[in-house]
Amino acid sequence: MPEAEIVLSAQGLQKSFASPAGPLVVLRSVDLVVHASESVSIRGSSGSGKTTLLQLLGGLDTADAGEANFLLPGRGLVPARKNLGKGVGFVFQNYQLMPELNALENVLLAAQVAGRPAAAAEAQALLESVGLGGRLRHLPAQLSGGECQRVAIARALINRPSVLLADEPTGNLDEATGAEVMRLLLEVVAQRGTALVLVTHSREFAARTDRQWVLSNGVLSPA
Amino acid sequence: MVSILGVGLGVAALLVVQTVMNGFGEEHRLRIRESFGDCVVVARTPIEHPQDLLKALRADAAVASATPFSEGPALARQGDFSNVAYVRGIDPTDTGHPARKYVFAGGFDELDDGRVILGFGLARALRVQVGDKIEVWSPAMAERAEKGKAPLPAVFEVCALVRTGFTEVDDRAAFIPLRRFNQLWSMGDRVHGLTLRLKEPAQAYDVAARLNVGRPTLQFVPWQEIKKNFLEAIRFEKTMLFFLMFIITLVASFSIGSTLFSAVIRRSREVGVLVALGARRLQLVALFGLQGLLIGALGTSLGFLLTWLILAFREQILGSINSLFGNGDMVANVYQFSKVPLHYDASDFVVAAGFTLLVTTIAGLVPALWAAGRKPSEAMRDA
Repeated sequence: MPEAEIVLSAQGLQKSFASPAGPLVVLRSVDLVVHASESVSIRGSSGSGKTTLLQLLGGLDTADAGEANFLLPGRGLVPARKNLGKGVGFVFQNYQLMPELNALENVLLAAQVAGRPAAAAEAQALLESVGLGGRLRHLPAQLSGGECQRVAIARALINRPSVLLADEPTGNLDEATGAEVMRLLLEVVAQRGTALVLVTHSREFAARTDRQWVLSNGVLSPA
Repeated sequence: MVSILGVGLGVAALLVVQTVMNGFGEEHRLRIRESFGDCVVVARTPIEHPQDLLKALRADAAVASATPFSEGPALARQGDFSNVAYVRGIDPTDTGHPARKYVFAGGFDELDDGRVILGFGLARALRVQVGDKIEVWSPAMAERAEKGKAPLPAVFEVCALVRTGFTEVDDRAAFIPLRRFNQLWSMGDRVHGLTLRLKEPAQAYDVAARLNVGRPTLQFVPWQEIKKNFLEAIRFEKTMLFFLMFIITLVASFSIGSTLFSAVIRRSREVGVLVALGARRLQLVALFGLQGLLIGALGTSLGFLLTWLILAFREQILGSINSLFGNGDMVANVYQFSKVPLHYDASDFVVAAGFTLLVTTIAGLVPALWAAGRKPSEAMRDA
């Protein structure tokens, strides 16, 4: 069976931050490859650099050295930093929804930013697929934490990314809701054939992914 | 909302001041024309046989009417009160004479060889009203006295009072028939000058220049030159007020800029999310630039509305201010205007709108450029 296409790759990623005590090294030459439709988890203690790694993978931050590339259909692997929002979708711990926009508008915003203004039907279908068909016109303030995160998942998927980067998506949710959101997330990406990189504290959630990694002392290694 | 209100107030302040100043300017220009004519013809010496010149000027296509006048200082007296009067000999049958418009007591048509029309201030100085009599001594009478003849003053009954708003007219002017003036001043049939009313007063400069050609002994003076310093002062006043209002609007615009800047910083997390979603720098700049433009457009519209409201109710507003501070009606007492004059000038509105839209758009763009230049990871950490 041929190996699946690479949708995300990182080579030699290094990142450090300035601190009063001198440079604080967070990542020391991290390499990572994610294949199409594959789910990968990255665990680590607080402050280990999981979120930083995810931001470098998605192009939200700049590495001191190394490079992160993701698959852009028709163009192959492209640098993440220069192609923000094009081939990856983000799910953040604190949802990062626009407070003035309702659920449908939040999902549509991502499509509009990507130059796809006529995606209302697709946005609605996505929200229905995450169980929010009856909450389309609700503002984030009128939704529960779990519902907000489901809106964020729909938003991350609206532009059909090759890979979805999820940063502690259940971090702000109670156990039951977190489990439900995780189930939904894994189900949706599996259905759509989207690769998933999941940053989490939870061994249980991590165990549900195809491959598990641990980030410790700036080094990424298989769990 | 506060930003829109700020812009609206700035625009309204600018336009209200400009429109009222335009109104004062227009009103003063009108009064200068009505008091002195659209064009005055003067000469180094009195004009001999003015009938020929009058005939020629009346035949000119640009001239609506031409009337002769003579004028000179005289001593006016009533009982123990005396004053210098600037006597002007006019044609009592001139139905278009501007003094008619400013008569507020008595009647212009009562003017004859035994009657005089006085400026309001002069009448007050002499303590006379309509129906009272005054004595007038002309310089020609003084000459006669020097030759040993005992001159008797000319006696006139006051038939009307005028108030034009020009102090030098109201405090000095006395109008008598031209024929009577010429008798008292021993002028024969000569006159000191002619007053022209033009079909197009705005063309007075051109018409005067044309009429001056080939008439070396005469000088045609357009109304803009008659009170040039006064008109320049009004224009300067308007420019200075525009400058002051411009600064006020600029300050208002900076406050809008700072409001927008705060808004962008407050929403820096959202800007970060937009960037994470793939928003390009240009899209963010357009978004916030448009926000500034929208604030500018709504503020300008509000400013236009406020301008109209303030100017429509200006009398009530001024009345309230006057009663609050115990002032009299300055518009009537000082400027002799029945109400605050207005003159809407489209160019003022275009300039105010253009300037406001430019500043508010820039005020929106600058913080947007700053926000769009940040890393999304940093921006989202500001949450």
